[in-house]
Amino acid sequence: MADRDLALMAHLLRRAGFGAGRWELERYAAQGYEATVEELLHPEEAPPALEDEDLIRRYHIDQNSLIYVESCQAYWLYRMINTRRPLEEKIALFWHHIFATGYTKLNQPKAILKQVEMFRRHGLGSFRNLLVELSRDPAMLFWLDNKDNRKDAVNENYGREILELFSMGVGNYTEDDVRQCSRAFTGWTIRNASLHASRVSRDSVWPYGRLDWQFEYLSEDHDNGEKAFLGERGDFDGEEVIDIICRNPATARFVARHIYNFFVADEAPAPAWQTVPPKDPYAIDLLAAALVTHEYDIRSVLRTLFNSDFFKQSAFRRVKSPVEMVVGSARLSRSYEFPAVEDIRLGLQANFMGQNILDPPSVEGWHTGTEWINTAGLVNRINFAVDLFSDANKPGVRYIIDSLRGRRKSLSPPQFVDECLDMMGGIAASERTRRELDEHASLQGDLRFGTDADETEAVRRIVEMMQLVASSREYQLA
Amino acid sequence: MNYRYSHTIGFLSVSGRGFNNPVDLVVGEGGLLYVLNRAGSDVTERMVSKRISICTVEEGYIGEFGKGGVGRGEMMWPCAMAMSDDGYLFVSDEALHRISIFDRDGGFVESWGVRGTGEGEFNRPAGIAFDGDDNLLVADGLNNRVQRFTYEGRYLGGWGSAGSGCGEFNVPWGVSVGADGDVFVADWRNDRVQKFDADGKHLAVFGTPGAGEGQLHRPSGVSLDDDGNLYIADWGNHRVQVLDAEGRFFAALRGDAGMSTWSEEYFRANPDELEERQKADLEPILDPLTIYDARDESASIEKYFWGPTSVRIDDDYRIYVVDSCRHRIQVYQRETALS
Repeated sequence: MADRDLALMAHLLRRAGFGAGRWELERYAAQGYEATVEELLHPEEAPPALEDEDLIRRYHIDQNSLIYVESCQAYWLYRMINTRRPLEEKIALFWHHIFATGYTKLNQPKAILKQVEMFRRHGLGSFRNLLVELSRDPAMLFWLDNKDNRKDAVNENYGREILELFSMGVGNYTEDDVRQCSRAFTGWTIRNASLHASRVSRDSVWPYGRLDWQFEYLSEDHDNGEKAFLGERGDFDGEEVIDIICRNPATARFVARHIYNFFVADEAPAPAWQTVPPKDPYAIDLLAAALVTHEYDIRSVLRTLFNSDFFKQSAFRRVKSPVEMVVGSARLSRSYEFPAVEDIRLGLQANFMGQNILDPPSVEGWHTGTEWINTAGLVNRINFAVDLFSDANKPGVRYIIDSLRGRRKSLSPPQFVDECLDMMGGIAASERTRRELDEHASLQGDLRFGTDADETEAVRRIVEMMQLVASSREYQLA
Repeated sequence: MNYRYSHTIGFLSVSGRGFNNPVDLVVGEGGLLYVLNRAGSDVTERMVSKRISICTVEEGYIGEFGKGGVGRGEMMWPCAMAMSDDGYLFVSDEALHRISIFDRDGGFVESWGVRGTGEGEFNRPAGIAFDGDDNLLVADGLNNRVQRFTYEGRYLGGWGSAGSGCGEFNVPWGVSVGADGDVFVADWRNDRVQKFDADGKHLAVFGTPGAGEGQLHRPSGVSLDDDGNLYIADWGNHRVQVLDAEGRFFAALRGDAGMSTWSEEYFRANPDELEERQKADLEPILDPLTIYDARDESASIEKYFWGPTSVRIDDDYRIYVVDSCRHRIQVYQRETALS
């Protein structure tokens, strides 16, 4: 297997998933790049994401009822780590970034997990259908106050954000369009809204825990009157408004830019897009055209993207989000593979790095790219990864040790560094990083596996080298 | 109707009066109820909620003891309880791989057990029950076996291995001993209950995977009444099933909870929330466009069981269902003998 094939596959898996160990990359590379893209694009044809979710609910009793936000965070991160359908989780994370819905206002974290479940079901399908589902989603209805959007008292919060942040971007609609859009969503609410609002306001879990929320359409509270929206006129309801949104060329470009930012290379934050042009206008044009051609089918657009040259040439041009950092490191070291007490730390770790999953800072979501990197966040990123790779008994670490042992009886310092960079995801180290790793490896000469003493020392040095690689600038990039 | 819903005990509480993810219950001397609270999640501030609560069937709150942690006398993933003839309370812990013993007043006595696969070692010990000789049977979850110990923790023997054949297990959970010494094991991941004689000889299998009558999905607890009828906590189907002594389906309970006394007191202090509740539809018809299963129903309709982990029966034929995700005990009364 050519190293460049494996490196490209590692790149694909970092973007369409959360990274992959060498043992997975070799299987993918054997079937070829395009076949792997197809496999990733069709998670519904893969085995269930987890072998047995009941095991999680049995051991983590709190992840059965999902009352607490840390339980919900641990549940989702554990699922990302162990899923057999990487793109299903990655696309859910993508939409969670775009349609950012936060626990702090809802006090009902399970409702956001249910929204994530909806992203798994619809996230690779039609963007139009996804917007319809989003507009019916109880967490969103609560988050942006559409439960309070009534025929005789229009609340414009959701109507505004679906245009500004979820589909078109500022500058492509008027204030009157916001008003008309909001009228179309009147009567879209949650059942027992008053009871749930009362419980949320007092963060009540009494007497018997929380109750799931359900969508409800109140026809008597829906404004059936004529609306003039984005140049069209009619007695539109929410679905028809979404149809009009999807016919607008601004929507395709806006969604294309989000897809590029998440899957290809870091861009400026979305609110700046009105004034900051795309880094790669050609790529945005191509993705926007693909959206229109394929009637907003996200799967088709991602097929175009993953097979494009600009994607294949974009390795290490994104900063890993904290979630990608936590999940990727856990997958590579094969940690958190069976429910255990320490699972509860997963959400806390991502939070320490600056991403409180299920609780984005605002409806704009997280600012990504270099904004993930600050002093405290970087220290936590490195500490987390270094800690995972410190245990030679973890199956992923053991696999790398065994692989190096299987190569030769001894490796020169540069060979030793090459192998570690390769096994940790085909990492292309900068000249400076490479020089530092070589210098460190040279301090103790060749890596040998001959005697018991050699073996002990080799394990210590491999673990140490993996920790150094995990501390490098390059490891922070996807 | 042979089973009448009687009342509900408890409500959610972090500490003190109430429960937090209860997983098991034993009826002690004088009818005192000891309720084991597993209380997730496992963050530091919730350690106080991992405890054993003591109350009466009439909802008199007596007290509590124990706390979360990994030290002596502490619990992390407490799973099941059994009371010895002389009134000591034995508690299994799936995270700490040990059995802890408390006196009836909550004083910690000792613990025994270590993690491992050898004889007398544990990997996530789950259900426990005393046999007629006051020896303790332990369903050793991830070791897929049942082990027997003396009161002091000396290994006496065991049976079972991983698999789905007769006498094999897949992560067993609850265990119970019948009046004649037969042993019943909730073979959780094989979706069945297995029956053995006192020496571990396989006798029968009850249940097949599914949600129909007599079928099971991840059964967690099993108990017997004096007539030998089986009460199974059908955890994954969120119900309790009753089988007669021959294993024939007799009844299924889905849950009927109303307000416990402690809940009513909560609402007396929070009348505005009660008012909202009285205006709401607490048994909504779920959206036909969304796929729902029994777990979703239980999460939406409060009266249903949600993850029942254990069923216990007292001398007065009261049936206690430990409703783990709703933080309460639902009590039923068996009114007539099965026929």
